[in-house]
Amino acid sequence: MFKVECGNKQTRSHYSWRLSFIVELLAILLIMTSPCVHAAVNQAPSIIKGKVAGSDNLPLQGVSVIITGTTTGTFTDRNGLYILEVDGNAQTIEFSFVGYAMVRVPVNERREINIALISNTATLEDVTVTGYTSYNRSRSASSSTTVSSEKISQVPLTVDQILQGRVPGLVVAAGSGQPGQNARLTLRGVGTITGNTSILYVMDGVPIETGFFQSINPSDIESITVLKDASAKALYGSRGSNGVIVITSKKGRAGRVSFDYKSQYGFSNMSSPKFKMMNAAEHLLFEEEIGLETGATAGPGWTYSKKNPAYALKIPAEKQRADFIIDSLTNLNTDWRKLFFRTGKFIEQQVNASGGNENIRFYSSLNYYKQDGIAVRSTLQRFTLRNNLDFTVKKFSANVNLSLGYSSSSFIESEGASSGNNPLSAVYYALPYEYPYFPNDTLVHSGNTSRFPVFDLREGSNAYERMLNTSNKSNQLKTILSTSASYTIAGGLVAKTRMGIDFRESLDEAFINPNSYSGSRVSNGRRGSLNEGTRRNFSIISTSGLTYAKTFAELHDVEVSTLFEYNFTGYRAFSYTGYGIEGRLPRTPAGITAGSATNSFIPVIGGSRTKSALASYMAFGRYTFEDKYTLNASYRYDGSSTVPENNRWHGFYSVGLNWEAKKENFFDDVSFISGLRFRTSYGKTASPFSRDFGYIGTYANTSYGGNAGIRPLAPGNPDYDWEYATEFNAGFDLSLLSTSRIRLIMDVYQKTTDNLFFNRPLSITSGFGSSIINGGSVRNKGFEIDLQGDVIKNKSFTWTVGGNYSYNKNEVTDLAGADAFENGFTGLVRVGLPLGSHYAPKWAGVDPATGNPLYYAKDGATTTTYNAATLSVAEFGSYIPAITGGFNTSLSWKGIYLNALLSFMDKVQRYNNEDYYNENPSFKTSNQSIRMLYNRWKKPGDIALLPKIAAARNYTSRDIYDASFLRLRNVNIGYSIPQQFLSRLKVIRSIQVFAQAENLYTWTKWRGFDPENGNEYARFSYPSPRTYTAGLNVNF
Amino acid sequence: MITSFYNKGKYILLLLAVSISCKKAIDFTPSDTIDATKAYRNLSDINLGLIGAYAGLGYTDITNTSLVSDECMLPTENATGGGVATHRWQYDGSNGTITAAFPENYIAIDRINKVLKAIDEVPSSSSESDLKERYRGELLALRAYCHFELIRNFASRYQTGALGLPYMETSVISSPSRPAFEATIAKIKADLATAKTLIPASFTDRTRITKNAIPAMQARVALYEKNWNEAITYSGEAINLLPLATKTQFPDIWKDKNEAEVFWKLKRATSAEGLLGNFYFNTNNTVLYAPSFKLLNLYDKANDIRFSSYIKIDNTRGAGKTPNIVVKYVGGSSTLNLADVKLYRTGEMYLIRAEAYAETNKLAEAAGDINTLRAARITGYATQTFASLSDLLAAVYTERFKELAFEGHRFFDLRRRNYNVVRDPADAINALGAVLLTPSQAQYAFPLPDSEIKVNKNMVQNPNY
Repeated sequence: MFKVECGNKQTRSHYSWRLSFIVELLAILLIMTSPCVHAAVNQAPSIIKGKVAGSDNLPLQGVSVIITGTTTGTFTDRNGLYILEVDGNAQTIEFSFVGYAMVRVPVNERREINIALISNTATLEDVTVTGYTSYNRSRSASSSTTVSSEKISQVPLTVDQILQGRVPGLVVAAGSGQPGQNARLTLRGVGTITGNTSILYVMDGVPIETGFFQSINPSDIESITVLKDASAKALYGSRGSNGVIVITSKKGRAGRVSFDYKSQYGFSNMSSPKFKMMNAAEHLLFEEEIGLETGATAGPGWTYSKKNPAYALKIPAEKQRADFIIDSLTNLNTDWRKLFFRTGKFIEQQVNASGGNENIRFYSSLNYYKQDGIAVRSTLQRFTLRNNLDFTVKKFSANVNLSLGYSSSSFIESEGASSGNNPLSAVYYALPYEYPYFPNDTLVHSGNTSRFPVFDLREGSNAYERMLNTSNKSNQLKTILSTSASYTIAGGLVAKTRMGIDFRESLDEAFINPNSYSGSRVSNGRRGSLNEGTRRNFSIISTSGLTYAKTFAELHDVEVSTLFEYNFTGYRAFSYTGYGIEGRLPRTPAGITAGSATNSFIPVIGGSRTKSALASYMAFGRYTFEDKYTLNASYRYDGSSTVPENNRWHGFYSVGLNWEAKKENFFDDVSFISGLRFRTSYGKTASPFSRDFGYIGTYANTSYGGNAGIRPLAPGNPDYDWEYATEFNAGFDLSLLSTSRIRLIMDVYQKTTDNLFFNRPLSITSGFGSSIINGGSVRNKGFEIDLQGDVIKNKSFTWTVGGNYSYNKNEVTDLAGADAFENGFTGLVRVGLPLGSHYAPKWAGVDPATGNPLYYAKDGATTTTYNAATLSVAEFGSYIPAITGGFNTSLSWKGIYLNALLSFMDKVQRYNNEDYYNENPSFKTSNQSIRMLYNRWKKPGDIALLPKIAAARNYTSRDIYDASFLRLRNVNIGYSIPQQFLSRLKVIRSIQVFAQAENLYTWTKWRGFDPENGNEYARFSYPSPRTYTAGLNVNF
Repeated sequence: MITSFYNKGKYILLLLAVSISCKKAIDFTPSDTIDATKAYRNLSDINLGLIGAYAGLGYTDITNTSLVSDECMLPTENATGGGVATHRWQYDGSNGTITAAFPENYIAIDRINKVLKAIDEVPSSSSESDLKERYRGELLALRAYCHFELIRNFASRYQTGALGLPYMETSVISSPSRPAFEATIAKIKADLATAKTLIPASFTDRTRITKNAIPAMQARVALYEKNWNEAITYSGEAINLLPLATKTQFPDIWKDKNEAEVFWKLKRATSAEGLLGNFYFNTNNTVLYAPSFKLLNLYDKANDIRFSSYIKIDNTRGAGKTPNIVVKYVGGSSTLNLADVKLYRTGEMYLIRAEAYAETNKLAEAAGDINTLRAARITGYATQTFASLSDLLAAVYTERFKELAFEGHRFFDLRRRNYNVVRDPADAINALGAVLLTPSQAQYAFPLPDSEIKVNKNMVQNPNY
């Protein structure tokens, strides 16, 4: 219940009545039951007032002041003053404000409570937001990490990418550096073989799609909480085991309406890979050597070589011509990077407003963001709008959080493919003596080389022509709506309901210009094509129930909840590809020629639809005794449409304990320890399935000679079941010295996933290569440390350094009787090995006598006979890193600050598939790495890195490299203009200017583009660019 | 307090109401797939399943033969790297290209066995019994065909006692072992014999297996079995059913404008069903694999209708590009390379019979068949005589090379008689020394996929891998 400190009482109550009416209407909509806002007040109200200040003793505006265990509360005004009406049940009041430690103060019949909040540079006093509960860290048994808005809002990346190096235990691999692409996240190790590894994302209580963050504005995010242990994840039951990331958007604060304007500009460029390709002279020499060694013609370097036996037979004019050709090609060194890459521009503009009063508060923002990728054509453009409203009237409170995002992306083609259509591979394949244009500016490609003779195979030019004449775009409209309402029925008993929608529609378009060489390559009619499609994902969630919170006898603090939840997700997609495009009607279905039996223009139609639903009953609670001992417990009973009926319903649970050791009497005298708490938890969760109907044996459509037929698709599995993870966690938070200058958080855990969901390989004589079974176990165990310290901390100067380190040991402990089997691109799954283990014949170098490649047999002898089946061993590590972490530092001196973040991964080995293409005799006519020229075996006695040119290029441990790295991920420097200069401007409250850089430097042994692009193998994925931006924030 | 209790009650009621309705709310069925238990409801579903089995047939034996035999060469303009290691005989069981026929055929066989199981379970009226038996006949013949393809690709040798391939007669998850070559052949022959009695002569769709196709299939099996008498019988039977194409008809066979002398072909209606010609020459105007000079030089280029139907010499393609293009599968439609895959033709039947006659000392008949075929293909051909059995066999082999080029025979033909694979120097410019493959080398028999060897302990790899 709220009251204002001043104002006309009558007007006030009238206003209040009107509001409560609106709110009641909302309640009807939300709960779909009659509102019951007439509960009798059973205790005489009283008033508590006071003043809240920050550590510098200046008043703090917008501090939330609530009665513990209720939703009743208010906010401080601009003078830091508050007035709170309390009933007789109120025992403690909580003061919380972002960036400050939450404080709980016993009322003890006081009528005035003044307090100074302490700036929360530590992460030890956060509230652990789980989406269902918000427990203070001192009362939560959960291991979690919260990343707050100041670390999120300026970084020019998507939400998931921003988390790298910030959360111990969370592995964030950039995957692709293409603007708007998502990172790959895994938490506390991979716990499945072929099942789902994706983390559950929840925004304002609404689970949102993984992998679609292009249309979400990171600046709207107040905090991101990563839930790591069973006690928090079990609240999500069958969806929790891979971890939960809870995103909370910014909320309005009571007080004067304030405006913020943020603007930043920047640019990105390419970071260089460590391998070097040949220049023109080198490639011509390479061709000549191949000719001499094998007689093969790899290009003009041999055809026109003086050393070619054919040269001697030429007449003088022909010899002169040959010499001229070699000479002119040698001097032609095309820089393909200039053709395929560029300096990408970056712009971001944002305005937001926030304000309100005790009854209604709002936060609204508008954002425009545009990032050009470093590869020509790749761009992300984003418009977002957010509107968050909070209502509080008497015993009723509600909120509506709406985010609308539209993004428009343009992509390169075939990212991650070795195909020449991928500019990232073409830039390496293209020969240095190839140039796309003829002197008359004609683009010379394979389609017109008969008219414009050239000496190369046009690999670069074809790719360049393709880049210019095709497009690959995707527009995305995304809405996340979250509404919730709660009503205090009686002292401590609150009814809650929440409804949320996550909606996405992607509109994809791929066009091939009919009047181009690429257009003529379209096999259906050879006149271009237009592909257009929509993908729509709709998810709705509804959660309702009761929460009861009460403190008994000032000792027993209890909070229990029971909820019912239903979540439905529907997906549908449709696409068509039309052919025979009229060149004057590009990029529209109007330009498509109707198909007939003879013209090959018959359009291709595609699409799919599927749906799933999850129903859950939940009960969870917390009991705290004497503010020292807390018990957390939860139970959730889930039923999912993705599981066959016999296994459909299952229960998940957790229990946890927290001990605030510092509050014990025996610690009173230990002054150097300013905080100490221990926590432990145990529980059971599961992970969702990658497919909605994976358990059903199915048939699909097929066609033969234009006639419809059916074919078996999946064998099905009637015993299909969840993958169950049981997890134990124990940890402590420790802060040392009186001002908590040294802060340490540590957790150890063990997570065992049983009933592993995997494709057991079958003899193909059964018609299927594998069948889905549940069986086997994998164990992840490890520890996480986060240490932060204030090296210098005084009035004008603060210097903080910190780091986090996590180690995870993954091991397959059981395979349900199945033998070891190959999995993924190069992997082997075997009991005793970690998941993601590489499996390859062991490279033994090059035989100096013959130039043949040598391999180690399993008995240690070397052999020249390659046989992957008999030679392969799993001795080369795993692509899933065992060690990850980050270092951070921040300096602030008066108005100047400097923040830096380094992230690292260690004990990670990846297959460099790029070397397979760039050092391969099969591709001798393409450009190759200089090692193919200088480090290749050429004659007996050569001690060489690479075998002779005629030798087979097989996959061996030679291509598996250490992909560990240390990367200077972000550096941010800024300056806040002093108040005395601004006070004259009146309207402007603060101005901050800043400059930052992403991926400034990377220390790695990795030879490819980027140690973290791609997945278990690296194959011409888009590298993370180096990005520099500068901008300003103005607050009105 | 009463009001408060009432309120609580309301919420609890609400919760209950929602929970009761949710049982149904999580019971969904897939919209995009057919439930396996409802796949075969009637005879027309059986036909759908049968079409599904035809859809599973590919042409990897044709492309792999081109890669590893002496009928193709790798031109410098092919920078794709596709199949290059295979072309250089640098393969083992981990090579997906060379082992592709193994999963392809066993998957098709399993589809067949699933339909064969269902065919007796679906209701059908007595008026449908002929149709039902025809489907059964097609299925059995298809099963024989797929197993025979497996034999051609993966048998360690084509002789008694060599390693054959498991003959799958039911759809089952098992770990079968490799029977002897002759045991697999016996089952193939049995299925073909049964099929012959089931398919009516009135069924004439040559994109599926007809009664006429069966003797052609039996003749080829007999050839690999070196059962010369049966080879003579069945090829003769086939020749009587379907005469050779005329010189006018012949080029149009490859443009799918007629079906002269074609017993059975795999129909290709759209590019999505696979374009065999893309292996040789693609829309990028690139010749990926060119006809070998060794083959090119065997033809009477001016007079042999086969040469112009199979190969084009285009001297306008520009510097550094090969002028020789395989055009056998470019097709006759506006979609480049949309062409049917011809599996059995009368031309082959003449050559099977000629070889069998020669082996059974009927040299005159053998010479007669060779001359008949050549006369049908070569304008102004003068009948030749052959001095000896070895001359005749050499002539049969040369003629098979020319007649059946790019139809998936050359490599297997060489293997039938343990001949070396020899590439001419002109064809080896990019083979980096891969000019001779002898029967003593592992690669002379295709390897079984490593994945199968690993999962099925009873399956043994071909020797020397």
